[in-house]
Amino acid sequence: MQKRSYFAGRMLPYALLAPQLLVTIVFFYVPAAQAVWQSFLLQDAFGISTEFVWFENYQLLFSDAAYYQAISVTAVFSVLVTVAALSISLLLAVQADKSLRGAGVYKTLLIWPYAVAPVVAGVLWLFMFQPSLGTLARGLRHFGVDWNPYLNSGDALSLVVLAAAWKQISYNFLFFLAGLQSIPKSLIEAAAIDGARPARRFWTIVFPLLSPTAFYLLTVNIVYVFFDTFGIIHAVTHGGPAGATTTLVYKVFNDGRAGGDLGGSAAQSVVLMAIVIALTAVQFRFIERKVNY
Amino acid sequence: MAEVRLTSVGKIYSGAVPAVKDITFSVPDGGFCVLVGPSGCGKSTLLRMIAGLETITMGEIRISDRVVNTVEPMDRDIAMVFQNYALYPHMSVYDNMAYGLRNRKTPEPEISARVAEAARILELEPYLERRPRELSGGQRQRVAMGRAIVRQPQVFLFDEPLSNLDAKLRGAMRVEIKKLQRQLGVTSIYVTHDQLEAMTLADQLVVMNQGVVEQIGEPLSLYERPETVFVAQFIGAPPMNMIDLAPGGGGPKGLDGSSELPVPASGARLGIRPEHLVVDEDGRPVPTRPGDIRLELAVDAVEAVGAETYIHGRLGGDGLMITAREHGKMLLPPGTSRVFTARRENLHLFDAATGRRVDI
Repeated sequence: MQKRSYFAGRMLPYALLAPQLLVTIVFFYVPAAQAVWQSFLLQDAFGISTEFVWFENYQLLFSDAAYYQAISVTAVFSVLVTVAALSISLLLAVQADKSLRGAGVYKTLLIWPYAVAPVVAGVLWLFMFQPSLGTLARGLRHFGVDWNPYLNSGDALSLVVLAAAWKQISYNFLFFLAGLQSIPKSLIEAAAIDGARPARRFWTIVFPLLSPTAFYLLTVNIVYVFFDTFGIIHAVTHGGPAGATTTLVYKVFNDGRAGGDLGGSAAQSVVLMAIVIALTAVQFRFIERKVNY
Repeated sequence: MAEVRLTSVGKIYSGAVPAVKDITFSVPDGGFCVLVGPSGCGKSTLLRMIAGLETITMGEIRISDRVVNTVEPMDRDIAMVFQNYALYPHMSVYDNMAYGLRNRKTPEPEISARVAEAARILELEPYLERRPRELSGGQRQRVAMGRAIVRQPQVFLFDEPLSNLDAKLRGAMRVEIKKLQRQLGVTSIYVTHDQLEAMTLADQLVVMNQGVVEQIGEPLSLYERPETVFVAQFIGAPPMNMIDLAPGGGGPKGLDGSSELPVPASGARLGIRPEHLVVDEDGRPVPTRPGDIRLELAVDAVEAVGAETYIHGRLGGDGLMITAREHGKMLLPPGTSRVFTARRENLHLFDAATGRRVDI
């Protein structure tokens, strides 16, 4: 099969690539380069004087206990959200793939949360779990749970994890369902005749065949947790109480926008960028090998 | 080894017309039964009911005297070869064949012995470590067979296993399947829409149409004595010529001798196989006996394929298209008119109202 494309003119391929390259340059490379430059600068709070300080911002960053707390919060948060979003959506997709009647309605309803903006999703969950007004919070109190995400760091983290996972489930669900539907029915039937009970069929046939989808979603979900959950955290907890829900990306915002420390904030975002690039590279290097395409 | 017995088996999908109606037949131990019919006739549904992949809404299916109506597919002791082979794409050829045995907790040394034996029989030894996508269509087909063999089941079920192969390979695999089945002596039920495949493989042929069995029997007896118009036209290629006769025995223009036939009051359909039409050589008419039929055909097209020649002509000059099959080369110029003779013993007569055979 011919995989390489040939173009008549020399300019056409560049012209076709240009829009995408332009977007990537304007919205990724330029800001990234600016961040790197900014991270070597020290500015006073009013932006009057700027001084080039080499790695001082980084030194300060790595001697800050709050930064290490943000790293561990991010680690816990991302593992919880990714595991919850992937496993719940897989479970729902398997059920949707099985169910016959009303499957269309079920799918449509499941897809809605994806259309909800992160901040709105955050506010929605906040309303439900607001200690004094929230319907579900009152229910929890009724059962004797001392629920207060404003004061209890565990409660606050659970709430943002719940909201963040809920929003990502629909996206994962769509991909898992498409993946499940692309597995020929006769494979499952062959496995049934081959003596595999439903659970074994799932783990030995269905899941391995879903692994490319799962791998893709894992990467996407981790990037989502690192960056896109900002809106949810901002709406629900503002990173509190006492930094219990301050993830790396929220700390970038908090220190730079609220704290006025532009250099330190830029240094943080450079480190964050390095972490995400490293994580993605590790995923492709080690997990992709185990994936069956 | 097992006998498969179906008694008044039927299948109705919720609210719809029955897919399969009142089917009764049995396949003896070691027999090779082929279910054949046009697409949508219910043959695949019936096979899947025997496999346990479709529920049985009426009647009873027994495998070696055990009623299996509600038995899970895995507990029916059957193996099935699917049309698209249904190989597990993420497993090697070896693992594909070993999967069913591992699920049944067969000891690993026995698994490797059985897989090695199957690989030897099917000439798959060089490919055991490969993935299915690295194999050709014919090799995949053999892996699917191997997966069935290693299980040593009581019954093999085949669901159009050759329809994804090209014509040449299909012919070769057909011979292999037949040989293998003889060798292993496992009761087999095979579904196909290809009447040639059906004729060559079957000990017992079950012709199905619109969810019912038209006729059951040995392939040649179905060919020589079809009980219905459907079977007569479905078995044999090119298909049997069918000429409508009026109640008195009067036929269309160009047909001679039909008034001698016992045509029922509702009229009849006269069937003549192409190879039973003998053409008059130049100026030397075929000697006829009482009861023979003579047809006058205006030659429309001639297809010479070497060993034989197909002559397509219109009855009585511009009537029904009739096909005759002659030995050797016979290059009749199109437009010429010829007389063809069919012997009385080679004629098939069917009641026009019921479609059933009428004895001549």
